[in-house]
Amino acid sequence: MIGPTDFDVVFFGPGRAGGPAVGADRVHLHTPTMAMSAGMSGTHNESDAMGSRGSQTAGSSARLADPELLDPTNLNPDLDPDLDPVDHRAPLILGAPTFHAITEAVARPLERKPTRGWWICFLTSVAMVGLLGVSIGWLFWEGIGAWGLNNPVGWAFDITNFVFWVGIGHAGTLISAILFLFRQKWRTSINRSAEAMTLFAVMCALIFPGIHIGRPWVAYWMFPIPNQMGMWPQFRSPLMWDVFAVSIYGSVSALFWFVGLVPDLATIRDRSTGIRRTIFGLLALGWRGSMRHWQHYEKAYLILAGLATPLVLSVHSIVSMDFATSQLPGWHTTIFPPYFVAGAIFSGFAMVVTLMVITRKAFGMEQIITMKHFDYMAKIMLVTGMMVGYAYSLEFFIAWFSGNAYELFTFKNRAFGPYAWAYWTMVSCNVLSPQLFWFKKVRSSLVWLFVLSIFVNIGMWFERFVIIVTSLHRDFLPSSWFYFRPTFFDVSTLIGSFGLFFMMFCLFVRFLPIVATAEVKSILPQAAAHPPQAPQVVHDGQVGADGRVLAPGAAH
Amino acid sequence: MIDHAHASHSEIPVLQASSLWLPRQHSWQRMPMVGLVLAVVGLGASLAGGLASPAAHSQLWHSWLVGALFALSLGLGGLFFVLVQHSTQAGWSVVVRRIGENAMATLPFVALLFVPLLFGLGDLFHWSHADAVAADPLLQHKSPYLNVPFFLIRALVYFGVWSFLAFWFGRQSRVQDTTGDHNLTRRMRRMSAPALIAFAFTVTYFAIDWVMSLDPHWYSTIFGVYFFAGSVMAFFAFMTLIALGQEKLLPRVVNGEHLHDIAKLLFAFLVFWAYMAFSQYLLIWYANLPEETGFFAQRLVGSWRPVSVGLSLGHFIVPFFFLLPRTVKRHPKALAGVAIWLLAMHALDMYWLVMPSLHANGIALSWLDFTTLIGCSGVFLAAFGWSLRRQALVPLRDPRLPESITFENV
Amino acid sequence: MALLRPSLPPGERFGVLAEFSSPADLYHACEGVRDAGYTRWDAHTPFPIHGLDRAMGLKASRLPWVVLVMALGGALAGIGLQGWVSTTAYPLVISGKPFFSWPAFIPVTFELSVLGGALGAVFGMFAMNQLPTWYHPLFSKSSFERMSDDGFFLSIESWDPRFETDRTVELLRRLGAKEVELVAS
Repeated sequence: MIGPTDFDVVFFGPGRAGGPAVGADRVHLHTPTMAMSAGMSGTHNESDAMGSRGSQTAGSSARLADPELLDPTNLNPDLDPDLDPVDHRAPLILGAPTFHAITEAVARPLERKPTRGWWICFLTSVAMVGLLGVSIGWLFWEGIGAWGLNNPVGWAFDITNFVFWVGIGHAGTLISAILFLFRQKWRTSINRSAEAMTLFAVMCALIFPGIHIGRPWVAYWMFPIPNQMGMWPQFRSPLMWDVFAVSIYGSVSALFWFVGLVPDLATIRDRSTGIRRTIFGLLALGWRGSMRHWQHYEKAYLILAGLATPLVLSVHSIVSMDFATSQLPGWHTTIFPPYFVAGAIFSGFAMVVTLMVITRKAFGMEQIITMKHFDYMAKIMLVTGMMVGYAYSLEFFIAWFSGNAYELFTFKNRAFGPYAWAYWTMVSCNVLSPQLFWFKKVRSSLVWLFVLSIFVNIGMWFERFVIIVTSLHRDFLPSSWFYFRPTFFDVSTLIGSFGLFFMMFCLFVRFLPIVATAEVKSILPQAAAHPPQAPQVVHDGQVGADGRVLAPGAAH
Repeated sequence: MIDHAHASHSEIPVLQASSLWLPRQHSWQRMPMVGLVLAVVGLGASLAGGLASPAAHSQLWHSWLVGALFALSLGLGGLFFVLVQHSTQAGWSVVVRRIGENAMATLPFVALLFVPLLFGLGDLFHWSHADAVAADPLLQHKSPYLNVPFFLIRALVYFGVWSFLAFWFGRQSRVQDTTGDHNLTRRMRRMSAPALIAFAFTVTYFAIDWVMSLDPHWYSTIFGVYFFAGSVMAFFAFMTLIALGQEKLLPRVVNGEHLHDIAKLLFAFLVFWAYMAFSQYLLIWYANLPEETGFFAQRLVGSWRPVSVGLSLGHFIVPFFFLLPRTVKRHPKALAGVAIWLLAMHALDMYWLVMPSLHANGIALSWLDFTTLIGCSGVFLAAFGWSLRRQALVPLRDPRLPESITFENV
Repeated sequence: MALLRPSLPPGERFGVLAEFSSPADLYHACEGVRDAGYTRWDAHTPFPIHGLDRAMGLKASRLPWVVLVMALGGALAGIGLQGWVSTTAYPLVISGKPFFSWPAFIPVTFELSVLGGALGAVFGMFAMNQLPTWYHPLFSKSSFERMSDDGFFLSIESWDPRFETDRTVELLRRLGAKEVELVAS
């Protein structure tokens, strides 16, 4: 054993204490329980991380080729825990991985050279962004006549795209904030990428209000900036509320995302060297996993979730008020705020499923993003799809019930007028197609999930198109009626915005940890320091002759 | 309750099922009796007073509707809570789920409160008069929906659906107490999703029929959700009170963690109600269409104005800031206070929805308002107490009971 | 920039760093260190361990108060800005509504209070944690790199009144530390 004085020598170094120079500053203390650590020589051992539970779980993970890594190919589908948590709650992360295996699974793809598939996706989306640039450039040169807008259809693809993209973002906040408040621990596997999706969707959304009047150089009029004209924004306009709602939504989502990233950036920092270590070190802010920090951190995260929840509801409510505060039939109806929020979450989950099906496969995350996650997301799509269907039917009923001839005409015209094709596309994609999610077979098939999520995305885009264009194209005076036809630039701008979204997502999966590593580790069974012990209920002979349990009688 | 003698040879604490019932000498054993007395006295006095003079008929039926809506909304909230717990496979709530089950068990009894109202249809609903319809093209347009026979059929459907769901889910849960069959949990989960769809449509159209059509010209698509939000909030306030009592009764089973969660749900639905109320007000105020603004114009004239302002303060702003801190959500006395306050506010909300159609120019309190509210609440309490006594306070063999007992907040 | 510099013990000694094998071991060790009366010490973990704050005897975070003040500030700024702009700076008649139309001001007021609260939560948390702190003595230990992977550490700083190198090391060893290292400033 090294005595106390030797410690001081080691501690203060040879120069100070004048003692013998000891190169190593590490002191191994061989306690009986830790004898195995001597043999580890710095590598990570399964039973090490497992602690006291190591002996139980070692057997189950023995089938993995390398216990340090996740091995999705080794997953026997028959061994997948069933999705039915009645008899017991199956683990959320499959294959009983170690903490280190999670780190490896998330960090390694960032440390490899990008694959060919990634390059194909990235370059394709960059080309689409180029198309976006050209389309916007032509719009600024030519004016909004480049689009198919006319009188009375002054809003069409631009605002449809705006509402669509804002809506896509909402699932990210639902997963990161609302499911957090509901203690839905499965969210940890997907929240990081869903939050990233939120940010990119908000970026795409912000393009459209910025360009839709064709004069971006006066966009600053929307902000309350003292200026030489002495002019101020008009705060009674819902379009002004939008400016605040969407920009604050983007800012708060970015803050939330960054706060969640900090511990994982530290993980990447601690694994890397050179310039990478410097960059991630700067971004990680010197995070050192301190429990005193975690305490404030967790409180901040909880508060952010508590703030983001009403925020996300308010954002799409305010977007809905762009329409609902007007007097236009088909726009002015009081169900709009909650109906838009439900639709936003619906479309957002569809986009999360679309992206996760691809990402999971490309990065071999089958153990972290399991079929259970898809099952839950499919159920959320089913629920929100039904909410949207509820709103469609109620709008129709009240349009008749109100006895307002304009209101009723608008709804009849939606279903049977010149845009009936758009209306029925919307209904079949948003209300009918999710009904397939009632079947477990569909919920557990990646192909079905992928196809249906695309359908929902299409349907939700059309929902906004139907609301905006069908209400506008029949003005109060029949002489003002007109039919909207998109031009090439309408379509190219929409495609270009998808390019921006996918390009950002490609960059994200390339450079940042796509799974919230720290959060996933915290839901592994071995992360619990003191699992609570449930009492056992003893059924103490209180069953009557007819088999019914009796009320306590003379016995007690 | 927890047998510590067992702890010596086994570390698992033991809980005896027989201790999970309402004790014989507990004061809640008298709840059905007390409820019945309140019901008989309150409703009897109301009927005697209200039917004595024809002039008081209208007041009687309007007051009765307020009381019946108040009692009904607690049961509906309970049904919703139970359905959501099953459909989301919740673990934390098992030990308090019986509160919802007992509350929804009142639905068939509270439905009876709506039977006397059938004699008051003429006083309540302008559209039920043939001469009024003949003189009003708008009512003629609505008459395929707003006519007495169809109205009664729909009412039968609503109460039938709710009573059936309450009966079916309550029964499965009770059977599981005896058999411990896990398949019952699966069956309830499977049924809960279609049941929620039925619930959503019945509650919406119930609110349209029995509340919105009091002013048959007025319409608002969010109205069903508004009624739903207030009802669920009121149920959580009621649940807080019962859970506080059960915490005293079963301290090792129901604890501050569960109360904290119920308080969070109460808070959430408080905010949700405000969101619905504000959305409806803002959109109608902003568009300023005469066919819609009538509803609020009526509630902002004369002495109705302070009631409307008081409702937004008392039903949202004050309890919002009061319930915001975590310490309040874990403080029994503070929770009990805010729960009673919010139940009173919910009664005021129902009053605010119904009464302006009778007293258009300003609030006019009648003693019937109080007797009917007491009587209807008595019916609810009697049925709740009856259900509380006839089954254990927690689902004894629910597969997730251990998870619920040991659950901790984040 | 006081914020950027961690509060560190004076002198050349930072303290000791002990590694534990599992969250449960670290949890019990924290209880032991707490009961031994140490005050200037910390645990370092790859993820927040449920209940560890209690095991360490930490007081509840005061962050909610910062957030409340910031959120109320945001709300006041929102209603103040809109009221001033609409009644004084640039009054406009819009669809016959009053200049001070409070229902129309609720959305922006709400958004600004959320913004205030969120800024308070994030930057308040960073300030309370004295982050960013790009330099810290613990970073000089290569074993500490596993803090963000699967290592569970406990550090006791040398300015703790109860800190005595040999006794502290002995305590950590008795509490089940896998390894104990000495850390210089």
